[in-house]
Amino acid sequence: MSATAGARAPVAISPDMAQLFYRLATAGLLCVALSLASDVFLTVPNILNVLRQTSLLFFMASGLTLVILTGGLDLSIGNNVALSACLAGTAIKATGSPLLGAAIGLGVGALVGLGNGLMVALLRIPSFIATYGMLWVLQGLAYSYMAGEAVYGFPRGFRMLGNGVFLGIPIPVYAMLVFLLLGAGFAQRTVWGQQIYAIGANPVAARLSGVPVRKRLILVYTVSGAMAGLASLIFLARLNSAQADIGDGLTLPAIAAALIGGASLFGGVGTLFGSFVGALILTLLLNGMNLLQVDAKWQPLVTGVIVILAVWLDMQARRRQQRV
Amino acid sequence: MKTILLAASALAFSAGVALADGETIAVFTKNQTNPFFQAERLGAQNAATQMGAKVIQYIPTQPDSIPEQLSQIDDVIVKKPNAIVLVPVDYKAMVPGIDKINAAGIPVVNVTERAAGGKFVAFVGANDYNIGLETGKFLIKALAGKGNVLILEGVRGSLTSVDRVRGFNDAIKEAPGIKLLASQPANYQRLQALQVTENLLQSFPQVDGIMAANDAMAVGAIDALDGADRKALVVGINGTKEAVDAIKSGKLLASGDYNGFLQGCIGTMVAIRSLRGEPIITEKVIQPVVVEKSNYQPWDIPVDARKCPSWEDATKQQ
Repeated sequence: MSATAGARAPVAISPDMAQLFYRLATAGLLCVALSLASDVFLTVPNILNVLRQTSLLFFMASGLTLVILTGGLDLSIGNNVALSACLAGTAIKATGSPLLGAAIGLGVGALVGLGNGLMVALLRIPSFIATYGMLWVLQGLAYSYMAGEAVYGFPRGFRMLGNGVFLGIPIPVYAMLVFLLLGAGFAQRTVWGQQIYAIGANPVAARLSGVPVRKRLILVYTVSGAMAGLASLIFLARLNSAQADIGDGLTLPAIAAALIGGASLFGGVGTLFGSFVGALILTLLLNGMNLLQVDAKWQPLVTGVIVILAVWLDMQARRRQQRV
Repeated sequence: MKTILLAASALAFSAGVALADGETIAVFTKNQTNPFFQAERLGAQNAATQMGAKVIQYIPTQPDSIPEQLSQIDDVIVKKPNAIVLVPVDYKAMVPGIDKINAAGIPVVNVTERAAGGKFVAFVGANDYNIGLETGKFLIKALAGKGNVLILEGVRGSLTSVDRVRGFNDAIKEAPGIKLLASQPANYQRLQALQVTENLLQSFPQVDGIMAANDAMAVGAIDALDGADRKALVVGINGTKEAVDAIKSGKLLASGDYNGFLQGCIGTMVAIRSLRGEPIITEKVIQPVVVEKSNYQPWDIPVDARKCPSWEDATKQQ
């Protein structure tokens, strides 16, 4: 959509760059407002703090974005994070080996994603239903496995993954940058990535033009699951604990991050960079409300209004871009 | 045949008269995730086993789900247990469900959160305001009455959070040297508490104490302090195993508790005793205990290894 619009526009910057610019405009506006309202906001420690907080949401939103690009949805990521974190956490506690824990966290996450992918691609179950069912399966497993207990207290080395700092910048921020670049490169610059866009834009046309639709679908759900597994490790390392209920509030913000970032639930539209900005906007909101000490009773309302405003502004900006 | 029967009855007799009764008690709790309710369920189970009764647990799969608990009540009325021990997921919204139980003639004991209506055999619970007040005061005493504090609130609108935070605030009001910097919600969630505390530490260069409305948030706040290389005294509420470990290692100052295990014990004992026509108490408000370095030992025993006290001890205690 924006590619054709960009081609018509008589601007020197590439359509990709224009897209990038408009994506950042809303987040930028929010930043300007916050830096006017709070003198702490625009300080290096706070910016690093916000980026570190963004990383967890981004990891979940990034894999999910690929699923959304195919026109699907993954409702199980939050509970995938919870189960992966609980299993990885107990493994680390039992064996003292962070490596084994990491392998289990990533492995369980990817396996769950593979299950979703097989249900969607081979059994043709609508992704909403398949992953909604998976959500409950995972919740049931996590709840019965943990039985109301928490697993906590991990080795210092493992915790560096969440709390560590290298050259003044938190480790999760590096990880986020690496996955942002890798993911964006994969989606935008590889044949497989373009095939994923094609499936979402028009699945029939994609199949007829030789795209291995089933294989790509299985791939995106598996990646989404693996990213949930990665998020579970960052979660464990940052919070030093896991409980069965940690995933309950995570899925919806991840979906919101992708959609605020410009992805469409109809598929074929969206970017990883957009999802990063979406995650950033949601994180900035909490940061801003805390810095300005918005009263507890107003916080949900403020969140809702700003999310709607952000998306509306973004749509206005893109319409203007298309008109030029 | 006869000998087997005789042996069985002798066994029953030696295990205590109670075994002859074998009542079924339906126990309703709010969710499967909060260790507090897990402790409460184990308390109920332990009391019932000691008295030779049977417990069936009802827990909403969706935490704190009002419609789910209502439909579980419908189910249980059909199955007709001898008595019900109920923690309402919402003190107002569950009143219609309690009315149904009353209409079905099943005796019901209200535990932990006091329902706004309905008829109960007894109420066994605690006062969230007091636990907030006592825990807050303990922190202020440890700060020698001077310093800047933060409050982390629970789920907005839940009775437990409103009352605990009111208790914190009143403790602060009594201490002229204490300045409340901010009171922000983290919804009883550890991740949110971590992020909210990280954000607040950006705003305030000097934070001396943090009052969190539950232990999960307290431990999240400690992680934020560690991450920012800052020091402050932190208190939480619930006396969970993790909090006790944090107290032992000196990371957490204290955790207020009103003993979910004991509430489960006494609630179930009252239900069974009333069925058997034994004397009961109709109101038991358990006094809060501030668990800290000098008194944590009883909380250090894993919940599933704890034993309910005798009826005499339970009712006389505190």
